[in-house]
Amino acid sequence: MLTYIIRRLLLLPIILTSVTILIFAMMSLLTPYERASLYVSDIPKQSGALEGIIEKYGLDDPAPVQYWYWLVGRTDPETGEIKGGVLRGNLGWSKTGKGDVAEVIGRRLPATIELALWAGIPMIAIGVWLGVLSAIHHNRLIDQLLRVFSIVGYSIPVFVFGLLVLLIFYARLDWFPPGRLSDWAAQIVQSNNFTSYTRMYTVDALLNGRLDIFWDAFIHLVLPVITLAYLNWAYLLRVTRSSMLDILRQDYMTTARAKGLIENVVIRRHALPNALIPVVTVGALTLIGLLNGVVITETVFNYPGMGSFLSEAALSLDVVSVLGFTLFASFILVAGNLFVDVLYGAIDPRIRLE
Amino acid sequence: MSDILLSIENLETCFRTPEGTIHAVNGVSMKLEPGETLGIVGESGCGKSVTMLSILGLIPNPPGKVVAGKALYRGQDLLKMKDSEIRHVRCSEIGMVFQDPLTYFNPVLTIGRQVSEPLEVHRSLSHKEALDQTVEMLELVGIPRPKERLNDYPHQFSGGMRQRVMIAMALICSPQILIADEPTTALDVTIQAQIVELVKSLRDRLGMSIIWITHDLSLIAGLAQRMAVMYGGFVIEEAPVEDMYAAPQHPYTLGLLGSLPRLDDVQGRKLVSIEGLPPVLFKKPTSCPFAERCNFRIERCNLENPSLRLVDKCHRVACWVNPETRRENQ
Repeated sequence: MLTYIIRRLLLLPIILTSVTILIFAMMSLLTPYERASLYVSDIPKQSGALEGIIEKYGLDDPAPVQYWYWLVGRTDPETGEIKGGVLRGNLGWSKTGKGDVAEVIGRRLPATIELALWAGIPMIAIGVWLGVLSAIHHNRLIDQLLRVFSIVGYSIPVFVFGLLVLLIFYARLDWFPPGRLSDWAAQIVQSNNFTSYTRMYTVDALLNGRLDIFWDAFIHLVLPVITLAYLNWAYLLRVTRSSMLDILRQDYMTTARAKGLIENVVIRRHALPNALIPVVTVGALTLIGLLNGVVITETVFNYPGMGSFLSEAALSLDVVSVLGFTLFASFILVAGNLFVDVLYGAIDPRIRLE
Repeated sequence: MSDILLSIENLETCFRTPEGTIHAVNGVSMKLEPGETLGIVGESGCGKSVTMLSILGLIPNPPGKVVAGKALYRGQDLLKMKDSEIRHVRCSEIGMVFQDPLTYFNPVLTIGRQVSEPLEVHRSLSHKEALDQTVEMLELVGIPRPKERLNDYPHQFSGGMRQRVMIAMALICSPQILIADEPTTALDVTIQAQIVELVKSLRDRLGMSIIWITHDLSLIAGLAQRMAVMYGGFVIEEAPVEDMYAAPQHPYTLGLLGSLPRLDDVQGRKLVSIEGLPPVLFKKPTSCPFAERCNFRIERCNLENPSLRLVDKCHRVACWVNPETRRENQ
């Protein structure tokens, strides 16, 4: 197992270097003038401002040199101070977020993690459970009902489903509001009496012993969680179901039954671990997708996470923010894939011991 | 010799498919005495495996269903048992070894776990006790350094070793009957011989009865006392092994034996193949299922399906044709 993990880790630098080169290449598609203009708000009035910035930041240096500066930072010739450097966590200045890109991501991330955890865990648990249920009752009533349920979920676009639940549960019934907190709760959260440990409001509220704030944060989460969970249930259910059906047809299921095991044990011990191998990939990648922010869902529910930040940045042509976000997202994706690989090895000895 | 360990009577099993109902087993009867080894021979799809899976309730339902018959084990009908009762017969009383040792092992569980599992279920042993017995059993079937291999996975064993492990798993609860469903088909010839020798020595040592299913006639000769030939879901001939080889009666058995090379053959004799394909039975046959491919066919074969008749001491055959005619044509 250890050598397996080490081998996976050795691949990491190669993948990450490729990712940075790719993203740098995307950035280099802009001319030095275009890039300089991102930092100057009133170009027509200040003649020579662009040239000054190009000179100052070396934007007309050869591409490999610029890549190096972008990666490790560049010493300012006047002050001797090191500036920039992706490796030092400096992703540039975000116009949209009015701060360092890294800092903006740090500010938006807790909200996204909170949503991802609330949606992700029940989503995977229930999705897998429904899939197994559907498979072991293959072609019976419950299977047919679950298939309808999943096909509907699979085919409704997020924005339709999101707007629909918003219409019913907010506009009509006024049960679950959009956003992240009510105004009164937001005031308390920002006051000095409330300690922000994680910036995830449900967790912080519990740590501060404020059940009213927990409840407020929770009812704001309900609609986006339902939307994300339903659409992903549909997918996980289908993957689990087909994988499980495939496993139930395997010869070793007969062996397990021929040993006189109870059907429950046959399913749990002999079928499930095998059936979960493909589900792990899908489940983990869905979770990673949630961690990177869900653009449409966050936008529909006005939820201030990574996804809505990305859409704001993209709409105002904030190239630096979008690329900074892309870099961050790729890191999460690479880390997530590593996690999936390790998980794979943990479940399947044929991969671990190959 | 009087007490019968297992008696299958008029077993019928069907499979419902989108194309129609397939009658896989159509009234099979056979008996097994304590300590006896019975060989069952026949082409693929003749109902050998389905018969055995049926008596243990291992036919997946749907699409399969046992529609008639009895399977009396020590006087109790296995087919009428509740789920919880038949479970305690499986492995504990009747162990089963399957054809392909790779696909019949669970790839993600260790050998130790899989082999010891029946002990925990049927003998209520703790995991540790079960593992100790597993080591003994693995040693008995000839796995070198069994203790170290408990934590290995099926794919880390060679084909022959895997089949040994499978045999250990089937015998771990010392069952009365071992059903071996083509256990050597997936192995190469030298390994086949080793497995047959292993089963023989285990039989002498543990004294269980064996039902050995195969399509390899030469293998049965040295192993079984009695053999049954199946065709189209029927037993068409049943006899002690010596009789069967010395004086086969049914045209199908004649064909099977004729397709085998023999050491005492006249040089240059051509091996004979049976023309045609075995039938797929969408309805229960009312004529002899072999009639279409039979060289001795008479009119009656197309009208009525023969049942097993005693032709000699302990030798039974299902055929309308006069034995004299068959012998002359041989």
